[in-house]
Amino acid sequence: MSQLKRVQQWATFARVWHIYDAAWQNPFQSAELLKKYLMGMHKPIYHPMNDCGDHVIVINTADVALPGDEWKKRVYFHHTGYPGGASWTLAWELHKKNPTMVMKKAVYNSMDRSLQRRYTMERLHLYPDANVPLNLLENVSNQIKQLRPKPKRLDEYKEEEVREFPKLIDLPKSYIVE
Amino acid sequence: MNTLLKCVQNFRFNVFKQTKHLSIYPALRVKEIQEKETNNELVISGKILESGREPYLLKNEHPEACPVCASGLQIKHTDVLILSQFMRSTGGMLPRRITGLCRRSQKYISSLVIMANKAGLMPHLKPANSHKDPKMRRGWKKYNKYFYESTIKIK
Ligand SMILES: [Zn+2]
Repeated sequence: MSQLKRVQQWATFARVWHIYDAAWQNPFQSAELLKKYLMGMHKPIYHPMNDCGDHVIVINTADVALPGDEWKKRVYFHHTGYPGGASWTLAWELHKKNPTMVMKKAVYNSMDRSLQRRYTMERLHLYPDANVPLNLLENVSNQIKQLRPKPKRLDEYKEEEVREFPKLIDLPKSYIVE
Repeated sequence: MNTLLKCVQNFRFNVFKQTKHLSIYPALRVKEIQEKETNNELVISGKILESGREPYLLKNEHPEACPVCASGLQIKHTDVLILSQFMRSTGGMLPRRITGLCRRSQKYISSLVIMANKAGLMPHLKPANSHKDPKMRRGWKKYNKYFYESTIKIK
């Protein structure tokens, strides 16, 4: 094997490390995106029997966002196996107990049920905040783009930005300042 | 019992008359701020202020339409710089007689204001006695959420 072909072989089958910021992202839409990187479906050499998945580090999973009132509508079911062992947990209760569990379950449930799924999940590294161990962070070579922009709060704008933003209406002279 | 009722009615009528005499501020139709000074006497004075919006006001190209319809913008609940123009300092929506919007736009913008408040995007526009930080809310309300504008139902 020539020198070039050997390097090409390494580059093809090397595991790439990606990082994804989950702040203000929907975990279920993000899971559909992340599973492609975890299973290697974004690669031309992809095959279900071909172990070519990448690593993904997900940060800020405590700040994931759900639409509307889904935090109190989405329910997670668990059964211990004993009689009367069923339990139903709301999404916000699960998130309060473990801020990475909603994201983990979203990715796990987004993938097809197979023997490979548990090994694929081993390549997913979840962190509730931005504190990632340095020995993992130094592997990262790609950032996955967020699905929706993080909304900027009004108090994060500068005062002159708010004042000089184009105004649609003016307050009438009868308006009394509170 | 009848006399008691009459007394109460008379009392209410008198109070109403008194307050009607005192409430000169909306009747004058000027923008005012009330200042109170208490060194042995109470002074309530009015002052006309500038809103500071004139230099940045958008020109309405279609004066027959309301400002929001005429601008042609697709406003989302994350556009807090636009939504804050229609809001009180306590976080509520201004009434239609002040905003001057059409019925449809008024309802749409007030829905967006509610959405932005629920998402905690304007934490400092709140009543003085409330938790300003969204993370201080109870239960499921403290977690991040976003909204779809397509869920606003207006005719
Ligand atoms: Zn209109």
